[in-house]
Amino acid sequence: MTPAIEGMAPAVESSEGSNKMSKGYQYPSLKKKLRGLVVDNAELCRIVEKGIMGLCGVETQAVETGEAAVELIASGATFDLIVIDRFLPSMTGPQTARKMREMGVESKIIGLFASYFEGDEEEFVAAGVDDFKEKPLSPNWLVPILRELDN
Amino acid sequence: MERNQMHRQVSVMRQSLFDQGYLDEQFIQLEELQDDANPNFVEEVVTLYYRDSSRLILSIDQALERNPLDFNKLDTYMHQFKGSSTSIGAKKVKAECTQFREYCKAGNGEGCMRTFQQVKKEYTILKRKLEAYFQQARQVGPSETACRPRN
Repeated sequence: MTPAIEGMAPAVESSEGSNKMSKGYQYPSLKKKLRGLVVDNAELCRIVEKGIMGLCGVETQAVETGEAAVELIASGATFDLIVIDRFLPSMTGPQTARKMREMGVESKIIGLFASYFEGDEEEFVAAGVDDFKEKPLSPNWLVPILRELDN
Repeated sequence: MERNQMHRQVSVMRQSLFDQGYLDEQFIQLEELQDDANPNFVEEVVTLYYRDSSRLILSIDQALERNPLDFNKLDTYMHQFKGSSTSIGAKKVKAECTQFREYCKAGNGEGCMRTFQQVKKEYTILKRKLEAYFQQARQVGPSETACRPRN
């Protein structure tokens, strides 16, 4: 076991196999192999979001544009959870979500905002997302969604 | 003996970054993603942040020199900048970004300019602190800053 680092709760390996608990985050032990897609133009955000989804047990791909996401889906890829940033270079987040719904995608789609003000979500909601969140992509709100998908 | 002292020093530095409000729990998420396979993940991500953000900052500076100001463009740049700042847990930077966006929405150019000075100030302070922290952490050994237990 990793020695406790001063000022931080020690990382504890739960006895429930692949459940990992650290600093209050309980990473789920999922029954299903969930697949995720992150659509974000910023490399940094893609890396971090993909990583966090991975920690939560979701096999995740990350693409930088709405077009790339649509192309992936058109090629037959399916996902349980799709997370789309509001601002993408050409096809916007809401446009991407709308296109996916038009293509028959029934996956859970979450619209993601770097900065959210009330009313910002209108376009996303009209496009057919299931929910919208402000960054960061956090296990705090991600895990309940995954548990729901897992059932 | 000396190694223990250095280790303690790193922990104290790290804790103070949280206590003084420079970092929030998202930084801990980054640490969760650091492991033996990615022993320098946190520093790499932070380096990427500073590399990418410097371009955004330049764009915003240039956009603020225009007359009249294009608030939509400013807002888009800042949205991206806030997204990245949020992803690494840059708490004070993130707060200034939100303030900037509020001025953008209100069409307050002077407010934007003033706040952007604050954004840059916090950004620079954090950069120096993180550089110092990573420098110390490297001396102790990268695995010391990973918080997930090694299997």
